[in-house]
Amino acid sequence: MASLSEEVLLVVKKVRQRKQDGTLYLMAERIAWGPEGKDRFTVSHLYADIRCQKISPDGKAKVQLQLVLHSGESTTFHFANESTALKDREAAKELLQQLLPKFKKKANKELEEKNRMLQEDPVLFQLYKDLVVSQVISAEEFWANRLGGVTNTDPAQYKYKQEVGISGAFLADIRPQTDGCNGLRYNLTADIIESIFRTYPAVKQKYNENVPHNLTEKEFWTRFFQSHYFHRDRINTGTQDIFSECAKQDEKGLKSMVVQGVKNPLVDLLSLEDKTLDEGYGVCGAQPSTSNSNRTVKESSNYAIIKRFNHHSAMVLAAGSRKGETPTDQASETSSTDGNSRDSDFFQPPVKKVKLQEEYEDLQQENRPKTVPLNLKKSDRYAHGPVPLQSQQYTTSQDIINSVNYIQHEMANYKPNLTQVLSSTVATSAISALSPGGVLMQAGAQQAINQMVPSEVQGELKHLYVAAGELLRHFWSCFPVNTPFLEEKVIKMKSNLERFQLTKLRPFQEKIQRQYLSTNLTGHLEEMLQTAYNKFHIWQTRRMMRKT
Amino acid sequence: RDELPRLLDDGHGVLEMPSGTGKTISLLSLIVAYQRAFPLEVTKLIYCSRTVPEIEKVVEELRKLMEFYSKQTRESNNFLALALSSRRNLCIHPEVSSLRFGKEVDGKCHSLTASYIRAQHHSNPSFPVCQFYEEFDAVGRQVPLPAGIYNLDDLKDFGRRKGWCPYYLILHANIVVYSYHYLLDPKIADLVSKELAKKSVVVFDEAHNIDNVCIDSMSVNITRRTLDHCQNNVDTLHNTIHKIKETDAAKLKEEYRRLVEGLKEANVARETDVYLSNPVLPDEILQEAVPGTIRTAEHFVGFLRRFLEYLKSRLRVQHVIQESAPQFLKDIYDKVCIDRKPLRFCAERLQSLLRTLEITDIADFSAATLISNFATLVSTYSQGFTIIIEPFEDRTPTIANPVLHFSCMDPSIAIKPVFQRFQSVIITSGTLSPLDIYPRILDFHPVTMASFTMTLARTCLCPLIVGRGNDQVALSSKFETREDFAVIRNYGNLLMEMSAIVPDGIVAFFTSYVYMENIVASWYEQGILENIQRNKLIFIETQDAAETSMALEKYQEACENGRGAILLSVARGKVSEGIDFVHHFGRAVIMFGVPYVYTQSRILKARLEYLRDQFQIRENDFLTFDAMRHAAQCVGRAIRGKTDYGLMIFADKRYARADKRGKLPRWIQEHITDGSLNLTVDEAVQLSKHFLRQMAQPFRQEDQLGLSLLTLEQLESEEMLQKIAQVAHQT
Repeated sequence: MASLSEEVLLVVKKVRQRKQDGTLYLMAERIAWGPEGKDRFTVSHLYADIRCQKISPDGKAKVQLQLVLHSGESTTFHFANESTALKDREAAKELLQQLLPKFKKKANKELEEKNRMLQEDPVLFQLYKDLVVSQVISAEEFWANRLGGVTNTDPAQYKYKQEVGISGAFLADIRPQTDGCNGLRYNLTADIIESIFRTYPAVKQKYNENVPHNLTEKEFWTRFFQSHYFHRDRINTGTQDIFSECAKQDEKGLKSMVVQGVKNPLVDLLSLEDKTLDEGYGVCGAQPSTSNSNRTVKESSNYAIIKRFNHHSAMVLAAGSRKGETPTDQASETSSTDGNSRDSDFFQPPVKKVKLQEEYEDLQQENRPKTVPLNLKKSDRYAHGPVPLQSQQYTTSQDIINSVNYIQHEMANYKPNLTQVLSSTVATSAISALSPGGVLMQAGAQQAINQMVPSEVQGELKHLYVAAGELLRHFWSCFPVNTPFLEEKVIKMKSNLERFQLTKLRPFQEKIQRQYLSTNLTGHLEEMLQTAYNKFHIWQTRRMMRKT
Repeated sequence: RDELPRLLDDGHGVLEMPSGTGKTISLLSLIVAYQRAFPLEVTKLIYCSRTVPEIEKVVEELRKLMEFYSKQTRESNNFLALALSSRRNLCIHPEVSSLRFGKEVDGKCHSLTASYIRAQHHSNPSFPVCQFYEEFDAVGRQVPLPAGIYNLDDLKDFGRRKGWCPYYLILHANIVVYSYHYLLDPKIADLVSKELAKKSVVVFDEAHNIDNVCIDSMSVNITRRTLDHCQNNVDTLHNTIHKIKETDAAKLKEEYRRLVEGLKEANVARETDVYLSNPVLPDEILQEAVPGTIRTAEHFVGFLRRFLEYLKSRLRVQHVIQESAPQFLKDIYDKVCIDRKPLRFCAERLQSLLRTLEITDIADFSAATLISNFATLVSTYSQGFTIIIEPFEDRTPTIANPVLHFSCMDPSIAIKPVFQRFQSVIITSGTLSPLDIYPRILDFHPVTMASFTMTLARTCLCPLIVGRGNDQVALSSKFETREDFAVIRNYGNLLMEMSAIVPDGIVAFFTSYVYMENIVASWYEQGILENIQRNKLIFIETQDAAETSMALEKYQEACENGRGAILLSVARGKVSEGIDFVHHFGRAVIMFGVPYVYTQSRILKARLEYLRDQFQIRENDFLTFDAMRHAAQCVGRAIRGKTDYGLMIFADKRYARADKRGKLPRWIQEHITDGSLNLTVDEAVQLSKHFLRQMAQPFRQEDQLGLSLLTLEQLESEEMLQKIAQVAHQT
């Protein structure tokens, strides 16, 4: 199993697993552990199989890392090197943290896809039960060429996977918890971090700039939560805060959004009024305090909160609508429509046209021709109605009379030609051959199968056929055998077939015998298997010959 | 249509119809039918609406109506209908129209089309002019616009095809649709609406705020900044006069001669030169000659200087002064010997001077124009105005910021010419209750006053009055409990619970910006907003219109893509006035508190006093009326038709009182049951859940037939005619 070509990313010595000392290897696609002094891994998990990792709390005496698999199993590693245990664990954790999400998506996607296929296709599901659950073949073998086929046939379904939006309250979900001694703890999950990055690209940029060169990840997030950027209601005080730049950037973004204006003229408050009063006219009863200077501190912080909520909601919305490669396509759209609509009004935003023309559906409908609903008293008569007469085939009564006359005329002139008749023995044998049970009527037995055999046996037989067909398909797909992999596979498939015959076909045959049904129900199946075996033997002997 | 408003074509009327029931189309079809039947009785329809989108909607409705006419009668009719708007919305000059603000567009347009600019262009072709206007002037003036319906974009399209400026295509159309500023604001009305025939029907749509529009158009505020600007303007004038005197003294002589002949002559100046015309001038003034004291340019500039110095001295006061116009005039005569008569001509004289001096950048002279308008107004009206000089803002008594408010208190002054001139004026809106107050404050005698309700196949609106929180704390935005945390918390609870059960959009209105900011801040501190964010995104109106537009668009986007959103907004704000929340954009409206106007303002106090003295309207009545019309306006944003549905939540216990409730429009009132008068938050949530579930069922045409939708047979049946007659009788 341990092919040497794998890239080893991290080696941690003195890691215990089940009270055994050993070495932990983190490789490109899997994590493995081998006991000390041995040359093989006793534990090996693909990253794709790992659901999550857990670590023991900092204060604990044992420094441990637990991996939980999708199957529900878990493996615990104990970092036993006294001096560097914590450091080792952190290193392993960090690396896993980076690696897992990469594989996670793939794994999830695959699992989902498999699940969907099984749910949609009952035959496949049965097959899966027959072959995989009863351990005739392994799950990987079962899926090996199925998934590929599906993904190749309709890639459209696969490409447009739906982006998951961001919860509006993701910041609210990061509830700080007091840790008892005058401190706060924030629990961040990968999802929340992703949400923050997607909503606030500025933070992501900062993260990329500073982590891990200047700050560790933990420090970064600590600063994030301490910054006024997170607590926007606090008034900006320190400039050494790395997030003050983010705030400025956000401000700029907000401003540019505002300057860009809106593309829907119906909500553009600036152009709503046809004529605004000139400066100086009008009653300014509740005139807003125009200058910011005479705002009190409280007022401006309130204003900041309001602004922040608007911005936050806008960003969440934008993050949701931002699809993969086309970032802020709506922004570019805005600018183009905005630029155009002012210069050349040939182009009118379609929204406006639609909105202006209010339609009342209930009034519109009256213009349409009235339809009569179809009311069927006997639906089967509708489905299989009498065959309509076709004018060409219609025979007049005169024709009928004529033909009757003609037949009568023929009959009157009929003379048997007895010299050319069959002999009676030949005729009898022909009749017996053609009657049920006769030589020529063998096929009739199969026709009668649905009367002769109870339906559950029929169903079982069908499943057997499907399963056998699947296995045989695998088997035959190996020919011509020209690679060592195929060689291996063909041998495996042969044994699979034999196992199938032993565990599935035999019991079924015995069951039929017990019920006194004709055994040649399974004749064809056996025949197929036999053909496969023959092929295999031929191939094997040929190989032997070549080898010798 | 299910309602047949009786329209009397020889008088004025006030109609209240819920929005979305086809108010516009019924009025249009009736008047157009009348116009077709008696082309001599009604020559013109002037339809005034509030916002640009609304104007455009009206024209679209009209287009449909005309299509229907030509389909039914199988002949093309020769109706000409068009929408008018400011230069900003109509200009097609590539350079000018790219400017964003109306003022800039106007100024730029003027600098390209003024007569002396064009004269210069003649002698020197490299001088820039607007080719569209040139084209129009050369060819388009005589050619009439072909009959049809022209929306703003159609006009622009037409202009572009012909190469004519659409703004100057103002013609004698059968139907004109424009903003009601064009008719009410004397500064503009003089320009646009002067030549409208007497036999016109005028419709003011969305007119619930018409009194404020009237007042705004006649009020002036003067700050120290204005005076400084004005000082600069006067200096510029002075210098220019000097320069011209040296080069072209004849020009000034010519002007002097013109002024002697009277203002009538001066008024015949070309249409393009008029930038902002004067406030209403009584006709007798126009007959007279400009008084000799301000006839020469130098004298007039000196006169302006004196007036300016006087105003400056008045602004230096240390305490609040309130006085009437005659008092002010007497004072000015005593102090600087300025007579009333020249003051009255001040605005006209300034315009004339600006024209003579060929000043291109008229926008720069807005301060001087303002001052001269003020002078004319203050000397023309002795009644209905008040002058208040405040040395500082109430909230910041230490910072000197003197303002002179010259405020109009009588909306009837601005609207009087309209009522006098046109044979029929119709005021209509979704929320005009109580109806009788409008004729009183606008001082006219309506022939018809009616409030229609909706005929609904299902009760698609659900007004609830939430008076208590779950802990039985009375909910109210009144001053005493404003800062009470229990109230704020309960308001927050209400919004939170609603955000969990209402699909798509929720709009919440607060009574004022300050109140909203405070509540939002304390919700934020208490973590309520975070919990709301779990359900919906939050957008908040700010005082910056551009920012709010963006929030609004994002809000709609969020409603559109199914995430759902909440818009926190302010009654009397821009959103509550002009934006509709159709269907899923507003499934619930929550009105936090009663939106009373800020009563401590001196201007408002003066106006209340005036109302009491002149119209016998009690202060409280007016305040409640004002608050309730705004509340109804906010709440009515959500229901835009019978297929629409929405919750209306009044979160204040004061709404349950009869005097408040009675002032809501009839179509809302009749759905308020006694059971929904004083609910707790929980009860309201239960009722809402039930309502929303019912409303979410599919709504088909068959359900409406016979109720809110009539087939032709049903319409002609005897029974239905009786029913209609009965309904008409009731109203």
